[in-house]
Amino acid sequence: MGETSADAVAPAGGVGPAGPLTPEAEAAKLLPFLASGARADLQAAAAKHVLALTGSGPGRALLAGQAALLRALVDLAVAPAPAPASDAARALVNLAADPGLHDPLLAAEPGLPARLLGRALDPQWPCAEEAAAALANLSREPAPCAALMAALVAAAPGESGLEQLVLALCTPGYNARAPLHYLGPVLSNLSQRPAARAFLLDPDRCVVQRLLPLTQYPDSTVRRGGVVGTLRNCCFEHRHHEWLLGPKVDILPFLLLPLAGPEDFSEEEMERLPVDLQYLPPDKQREPDPDIRKMLIEAIMLLTATASGRQQVRDQGAYLILRELHSWEPEPHVRVTCEKLIQVLIGDEPEHGMENLLEVQVPEDVEQQLQQLDRQEQEQCEREQQERELAPEPRAEGAAPT
Amino acid sequence: MEGPELEAISDDAMDSFLEKFQSQPYRGGFNEDQWEEEFEKIPLFMKKTPSEIDPKENPDLACLQSIIFDEERSPEEQAKTYKDEGNDYFKEKDYAKAVISYSEGLKKKCEDADLNAVLYTNRAAAQYYLGNIRSALNDVTAARKLKPCHLKAIVRGALCHLELKNFAEALNWCDEGLQVDAKEKKLLEMRAKADKLKRTEQRDIRKAKVKEKKEQNQNKALLHAIKARNIRLVSEAASEDEDSASEDLGELFLDGLSSENPYGARLSVDDQGRLSWPVLFLYPEYAQSDFISTFHEDSRFIDHLMVMFGEMPSWDSEQKYCPDNLEVYFEDEDRAELYRVPPKSTLLQVLQHPRYFVKALTPAFLVCVGSSPFCRNYLQGRKVHQVK
Repeated sequence: MGETSADAVAPAGGVGPAGPLTPEAEAAKLLPFLASGARADLQAAAAKHVLALTGSGPGRALLAGQAALLRALVDLAVAPAPAPASDAARALVNLAADPGLHDPLLAAEPGLPARLLGRALDPQWPCAEEAAAALANLSREPAPCAALMAALVAAAPGESGLEQLVLALCTPGYNARAPLHYLGPVLSNLSQRPAARAFLLDPDRCVVQRLLPLTQYPDSTVRRGGVVGTLRNCCFEHRHHEWLLGPKVDILPFLLLPLAGPEDFSEEEMERLPVDLQYLPPDKQREPDPDIRKMLIEAIMLLTATASGRQQVRDQGAYLILRELHSWEPEPHVRVTCEKLIQVLIGDEPEHGMENLLEVQVPEDVEQQLQQLDRQEQEQCEREQQERELAPEPRAEGAAPT
Repeated sequence: MEGPELEAISDDAMDSFLEKFQSQPYRGGFNEDQWEEEFEKIPLFMKKTPSEIDPKENPDLACLQSIIFDEERSPEEQAKTYKDEGNDYFKEKDYAKAVISYSEGLKKKCEDADLNAVLYTNRAAAQYYLGNIRSALNDVTAARKLKPCHLKAIVRGALCHLELKNFAEALNWCDEGLQVDAKEKKLLEMRAKADKLKRTEQRDIRKAKVKEKKEQNQNKALLHAIKARNIRLVSEAASEDEDSASEDLGELFLDGLSSENPYGARLSVDDQGRLSWPVLFLYPEYAQSDFISTFHEDSRFIDHLMVMFGEMPSWDSEQKYCPDNLEVYFEDEDRAELYRVPPKSTLLQVLQHPRYFVKALTPAFLVCVGSSPFCRNYLQGRKVHQVK
């Protein structure tokens, strides 16, 4: 039986561009080879072809209309060995990166978030990294993010499925075949949802505390960025600021440490810093990714929203670190963010009744003025950026302070 | 409690037993003089169980014990009895005996993994209170092998690691425990504590490294300054073997620097790059000495002598040690020769003398009164050079 079918499909083995067929018809022809029950080598070839299609906009648009094919692709991507799941999983990553595909994907397979989640958190699953990456892409949009959140709640009744996700993220070697860096952005996206933040910030548990050391995770910008994004989102919850800044969590040193360089502070200044920032070695590197640096500064900025938060941030010597960062920072837009935070730290306290910066009502005219200023600032940054790109040499000289 | 077997007594027998005392006195009662001691010997009234149960001394107790630890009962039952006994000792804070009871229970090798896990965990607790942290850790590890989710074992293990200052391990145990019960208060508290201590420890390590580096740099600067001045150093350890001494001098020197000398002073360099040495003045006539903790290399001998002998020292019984009378010498030990140093020369000038060897980073000089008979006697038969 196998032999005959092999003969039968031989001409179709070259699933490449066939002349007279429309692209839609061609894609539809792939379906039988991709579907479960097909021979593994044919599945692999079909998946490879689909993967190639997902690399281009028109290819993805084409696939968006093929619900059955998408369903088969999902089935294959989560199918256990010996099915060739990896290319199908990669194709899903590409598709999920395109927000235009989210609706077709979820329509074709409403259980997609749950199925990917199961694979991403399966310690034995060889394609868990792809599953996590597809989830990270999917969860960027509100609707799939909500679906993922629902899947997490359903996955582990009683105990939050988020705990499993955090565990996988915080346990080195959780899956020997996948580092699961992409769980960082997954968590970051999830933390936009109040329910996720409520879990992360549950004072009766130890969740956010376990994430903190990952702000220094050396091996992956993706993981670091995801964790820092998660922490920043958590910092919007000003009711939790006191707890976050207090001894039970002590979040500030973990936000400041990646921003700190190898500066040698005086003994007196050193004593004012949190222990984690004291006596850093001369080869201490700052966070290399400017976007992550910016998020770290923004997170600290959020923590200064309340009067007591500002006090706690000031007391822990944040200014010293930011001062040094500011004189070092090569990226204009990060430097601007840094300046704003420094202004809050060294500026006067706001008037009575306006202490909580996250709750202050901004009058419309003031808001418009501020937006105008933001635009100017943005333009200024872009100009600087352009100047730097056009004339890197003199610019480098100009940026003398090292 | 001698007397007839109680259990054999029926009602009739009891009557006749009691009637017996109409005609003869009861002999089983307590002795008026020592009733308290006898009272104590009855198991029911014992305030404390004897540490060793001797069947001759305490026959009743020995009987009871043999009933409790009846070899015919199942290992599980026996192990459980030992566990209860251990728990009683534990409550009395008799941890050593509790350990023995739990160990006996474990020796029964019963099949009940949970019971064995409890025995291990409880023995760990007793060991912990005895200060045997390593043994406690071994026991909780064994308990977790039998029952991986046994929270008490995990809490105890985390405590042990905290006690042993293995903060990272303590954190791991806390996290594993919180996987079993995410809201366990003790674990949450301990985790925060271990984390804090771990971070402080890491700071201390970094601080020590920075300090070490700083010292190394200082020492290098000092070594460089000494070499630039052509000052010869000799280490006491290396003086035997001149060749290797010159090779290792830098290293030996640095070793010598990092340990302060017995007087708590050390060679230092000031902002202008000038050296100050700890210097020893010896007065052989009276077997006395003075230690100058910072002798600036550009200071003259006379400057120090003026200050030091501005007043007569108490040991100067003849009152002759005044600055003008003093002569300063240094000794060339290899040749057993002396060099007389003009008091107006600076320390640096003398240290640069080709026959001056600084020993143990502390230059030493002999000081005596030139005109004294002692000095003449002391110098007699030794070759004395004049330093210009």
